Amino acid sequence: MKKFWIALFMLVPILALWSCYVAPERGWWFPGTTGPYGGEAASPMGRRIDDLFYMILAITTVTFIGTQLALGYVLWTGARRGDAGSGEKAWFSHGSHNLEVIWSIVPAGILLFIALYQMDVVAAIRFKSEFPEQVQNRPLAEVTARQFEWRIRYPGFDANGNLLPLMADPQPTDLYAVNDLRLPAAQPVMINLRTDDVQHAFFLPELRVKQDAVPGLTIPVWFEADRADEFTLLCAELCGWGHYKMRARFVALREPDFLQYLRDLQAQQDYDGVPDAADEE
Amino acid sequence: MIRSVFHRLLTAVSGRPAAALAALVLCGAAQGCGRQEAQFTHRAGFENLMPEAQSYVHEALEQHFGTPTQVVAWEQLPIKLHAAAGAVGAAPDARSIAVNYSQQNLPIEPGLQTAWLSGPLLQSQGDPAWVEAVDVAGRIMFEQPLASVPAEGDRVAIGPGEVLRYGRVLYAEHCQHCHGVSGDAQGPTASYLNPRPRDFRRGIFKFTTTTASNRASRADLARVIENGVPGTYMPSFKLLSDAESMAIIEYVLFLSMRGEVEYQLVTQLGNDYSNQAVKDRIDGGETRKGILDEFTGMVNGGDMQEQFNETVESIVTRWVEANEPEAIIVPGAKRPPATPESIARGRMLYLSQDLNCVACHGEAALGDGPQSYSITKNAAGEDNPTPGLYDEWGNLVKPRNLTQGIYRGGRRPIDLFARLHGGIKGTPMPAFGGKKTDEELWDLVNYILSVPFEVRHPGDGLKEARPVVEDVEQVATR
Repeated sequence: MKKFWIALFMLVPILALWSCYVAPERGWWFPGTTGPYGGEAASPMGRRIDDLFYMILAITTVTFIGTQLALGYVLWTGARRGDAGSGEKAWFSHGSHNLEVIWSIVPAGILLFIALYQMDVVAAIRFKSEFPEQVQNRPLAEVTARQFEWRIRYPGFDANGNLLPLMADPQPTDLYAVNDLRLPAAQPVMINLRTDDVQHAFFLPELRVKQDAVPGLTIPVWFEADRADEFTLLCAELCGWGHYKMRARFVALREPDFLQYLRDLQAQQDYDGVPDAADEE
Repeated sequence: MIRSVFHRLLTAVSGRPAAALAALVLCGAAQGCGRQEAQFTHRAGFENLMPEAQSYVHEALEQHFGTPTQVVAWEQLPIKLHAAAGAVGAAPDARSIAVNYSQQNLPIEPGLQTAWLSGPLLQSQGDPAWVEAVDVAGRIMFEQPLASVPAEGDRVAIGPGEVLRYGRVLYAEHCQHCHGVSGDAQGPTASYLNPRPRDFRRGIFKFTTTTASNRASRADLARVIENGVPGTYMPSFKLLSDAESMAIIEYVLFLSMRGEVEYQLVTQLGNDYSNQAVKDRIDGGETRKGILDEFTGMVNGGDMQEQFNETVESIVTRWVEANEPEAIIVPGAKRPPATPESIARGRMLYLSQDLNCVACHGEAALGDGPQSYSITKNAAGEDNPTPGLYDEWGNLVKPRNLTQGIYRGGRRPIDLFARLHGGIKGTPMPAFGGKKTDEELWDLVNYILSVPFEVRHPGDGLKEARPVVEDVEQVATR
């Protein structure tokens, strides 16, 4: 019976390893695992984040296997000692100074290594001074989360058709969209993230971007989509009863398509209900 | 039903043991709660009718509109009901027919039913014909040979009521928790909202591009579903496909028409057959039996049927008209550029005694005009319970603060123009179409669009508005 319990407890780590092993092919992995890109992040920064994830996964796997083997060993020897007629005695380890030092120093070293190793990735995501040169202070859109949708404000064009910079306050030339964020692909882009009401989180799973929107703050967020494609934009912070409705799309466009999109948006927004004579022909 | 849900879940998760286990647990929980069937509820005045009148209204509605899970596709209504409809085309035979479509709303898929709306097969509805496939020539092929061959020109519906069925499922998923099963704005989340969600049952929708006397067009409803209503809890449903959006709109129209028929019936019968009216009549010397006989006579073979048909006819006509091109507001002139002169003219109109915008929206357009804190009267001429303005649904409404730059009905110039021209239906916002020329309304639009960008200081009074065009130029040269 003792052996049965040991086998049962050992089943847990085996199941855990099995589920990790089959996860990617079953689509339990990163977003888009089963899609055409096999779960690879759609942005350079996303791949760096994934690398961190894999590194931590490797460290925890080794640790996990080690501790589970040790647990199995202890159970097994304990069961053996408990057998009738066994004269073996247990090793009394309580208060062992050496052991205490080892299991304090080793994990501390691992954690310190992880903390230092991920620092520049976190800095590049979070600190504006570390943002790529070309996006610093050059937001292309203001994304305002509200219960329960994403409202987007783009800068408009001046009289000569040049794209204006995005101002902190709304301008008469601004262009508006909802639940449909479109930005240039294959280059870093920055948005200003705000919220009208409660806390929301701007989540682009395929690009591994997740940033809380906090009432009262305007938070710059930058990312870079590898390819012109359509991605999912979700709210990742339970923001109220309609949280599930906050699904939108992020479309990465080639630069000329992006400008054309803004021009189309302008034409729609300026529509005065009078059909053009040219349209009727 | 539980079992079929369970089956569907199992199919969806087959090959994923953990998920199947979770589904099993969920179903167990659901079974414990018991089954809850969605039901249409009745409007407020219904309970005041005498019991016989109540059961007449209830049965009339159930007969023509059904229940949420058994929707009746009533051909009388100007709604896209079927997946496709049309007339039987050339060379029909017992295994396949060609169809000249009059409407194609949803893709024709195998397994859809075919319903005959005229011709010899009309009587054999008990023996439905199921679509097997659509062949390369576009002919509909049937699983079983038909009992008899339809004649060319017979009217046929493929997937009868399929649009409403689809619309109801989507409505239940996306809309019902606020707008309610009956479209009565009494969903479980509705009471937390300000402004309150729309009650469809009067057939009135606020933000339309149709003229003041018309209902909302399908395009208006589609725009609200796609873009939401900024400044309210109505979110944007941009990611819905065209077919999904269409099905929801048709179901909302269905609920509106059901609600209107109910409203009309309850109002008409309320005059003579409410509990109060019956009591008064008995006090006036009539007998209860006499009143009952009169009511039974009217309903059974009397003029009630005719009255009902007229009611439905007038409702239908209004919805049909709303989608005619004549109903749509088309400005007689293009929008003039927002020059300082145009904005100044707009401001003078805004301040004028004639339009009296300031009575509600206030001199600084902050939405704080004197009407917003006066005791106003409702449609029946009684004082409203609290100071302020009320809409047709009895909700307190605030005049829009125009300085915020939030436009509930959309921010395109035509949206603002339509708001001024046709008013906001069901609210105290009046229609100025016909009262002012289109050029004047455009000046007003230009002024309203400039309000959020005005720089005004205390004591500025009525000084000329600072034109927006200057801002644009400044930004351009910056």
